[in-house]
Amino acid sequence: MSSLSNLIRNENMKIYRRPRTWLMIAFLILAIGLMSGIMKWDASQNANQDWQNNLTERNTHMQQELQNNKELSEGDETYLTNEIKLNEYYLEQNINPNQLSLWSYVNTSTSLIMLATILTVIIAADMIAAEFTWGTIKLLLVGPASRTKILLSKYIATLGFALLLLIVTFATAYAAGGILEGFDGTSQSRITITEAGVIQESSYFVNSLEKYGFSVVSMLMYVTMAFMISSAFRSSSMAIAFSLLFMLVGNVLSAFLSGYSWVKYLLFSNIDLTQYLSGSTPLRPEMTLTFSIMMLFAYYVVFQFVAWLLFTKRDVAA
Amino acid sequence: MTEAVLQLRNVTKSIGGRKIVDNLSFDIPAGEVFGFLGPNGAGKTTTIRMIVGLISMSKGEALIKGVSVREHFELAMTHVGAIVENPEMYKFLTGYQNLAHFARRHKGVTKERINEVVKLLGLQNRIHEKVKRYSLGMRQRLGVAQAILHRPSLLILDEPTNGLDPAGIRELRDYLRKLTREEGISVIVSSHLLSEMELMCDRVAIIQAGKLIDIRSLQEARDSIQSKIVIEVGDLLAAQQLLASIFDVSRVEVNGNLLELAADKAAIPDIARLLVSSDIDVLGIHAVQKSLEEQFLEITGGEMVV
Repeated sequence: MSSLSNLIRNENMKIYRRPRTWLMIAFLILAIGLMSGIMKWDASQNANQDWQNNLTERNTHMQQELQNNKELSEGDETYLTNEIKLNEYYLEQNINPNQLSLWSYVNTSTSLIMLATILTVIIAADMIAAEFTWGTIKLLLVGPASRTKILLSKYIATLGFALLLLIVTFATAYAAGGILEGFDGTSQSRITITEAGVIQESSYFVNSLEKYGFSVVSMLMYVTMAFMISSAFRSSSMAIAFSLLFMLVGNVLSAFLSGYSWVKYLLFSNIDLTQYLSGSTPLRPEMTLTFSIMMLFAYYVVFQFVAWLLFTKRDVAA
Repeated sequence: MTEAVLQLRNVTKSIGGRKIVDNLSFDIPAGEVFGFLGPNGAGKTTTIRMIVGLISMSKGEALIKGVSVREHFELAMTHVGAIVENPEMYKFLTGYQNLAHFARRHKGVTKERINEVVKLLGLQNRIHEKVKRYSLGMRQRLGVAQAILHRPSLLILDEPTNGLDPAGIRELRDYLRKLTREEGISVIVSSHLLSEMELMCDRVAIIQAGKLIDIRSLQEARDSIQSKIVIEVGDLLAAQQLLASIFDVSRVEVNGNLLELAADKAAIPDIARLLVSSDIDVLGIHAVQKSLEEQFLEITGGEMVV
């Protein structure tokens, strides 16, 4: 009987021995490099501005707003007061908040996790369907491993690839930041202000992990969906096409239909958990974080179950 | 008594009320090459795929070394090596990587064993090349290598000769013979080509429309091949009487203006002397053999096997 770890090694071999996989990774690294270059170039365009004057000007402006505008809500008022306080702190400590640091690159790289997700979705959609396309599915299944075990090994290998791309994204952004702004920025702390107006220093690393964490949730959902689609189709190009289509159209569709209350039950309405962070509004007012997490969990279970059912119960006749 | 390596018990597959395979039961003992013969669409491939779990059974059971494929799939499959149609390999991997892939699924297949099998099949010169550069014959050999890595007790070949040239077929055949002789492996092979089966198998099962029609030993079939002697004579009646009095009456038959006698070639000189000494003119005399193919056509009710 096959051990699961050996089956995972087999799946990994089939992922990483294909040149396509390395092209994807190279593409991702290139994209992050490009992003970093553009950030650096953009910053250099605005480099000669006097940031201290800018901050002072902005503070006076906000001060005036606070005194003159009587229609400000309580929330806006605290926001402005806190901003002023934070800017004063920057001036006091002689810290330029607009100065790019290593962590600015890492933070911006979170927007490229979408790219890593697309690449992983392609791999996931190919995972089962390709075996049918190649005709290797017969030899794969006629062995001392149950179909459930084979499916599991394929899923784990896919998640492994997702994790690799996340690490590559993080590491490339970190390296680009380090090269452009110096690696001594690693220990820099993140300065924020609480609602009560207390200035805090926290770890940029932890902050980045949080941001990555939210993206990982949507990545996991999209990849699991693609994996299910791969199990349903016997042609890898069809599986890839449908997975990407759902992924790219789904979000637009959710936003477009947000007027209807049933939209909240769609996967795409719940997949972005950052909508519940302070400062953002959810797609529909009645949606809560708990609701979304439950919906995502339900979708996840359904995806897994359908993938398992399609893979283990169907006859391989062709 | 040795236990049968493969036992089929009432194996049935129905799709939408139609029985594709109907109540198939037979045993295959160790060391036998068992052929599965039938016209296209008779259910050969479906049966073979049910044995290896690619297709689920509607009813019945297949036991490999006494282990049920349905209930203990993983354990049963440790005894099985299979080539299902043209063995499709991972083309972007080398031959060796493909073998490593399949070896990893089994316990105890060492590097030495892989190398041994590679040598056995004469692949050592190109084993580290990508499979996409292999010829069909080489892919077939790699397929056999993959199937025997873990020293299975039962080798299952589904239409293994599809797309092979005569030399490739011959090579595969010789190799299968060697395996059964030396390692005592049982082989089950399906084909629609009678001529191949004749050369490869010890026994064949003939199936038609999902039903088992007959199982025969090819050795017996060869022994029972009836040769007849066709004689053309001047006086048909006299010759018939004469031969009937010497041979059994039932063995003498008149076919048009020819006389047919069920007998072996070796009897020709005696018959010729007998006829000539009785003053019957012999115009011609020759032996005719009834081929296996004719026999099978009889069994399948005249439907073309090929």
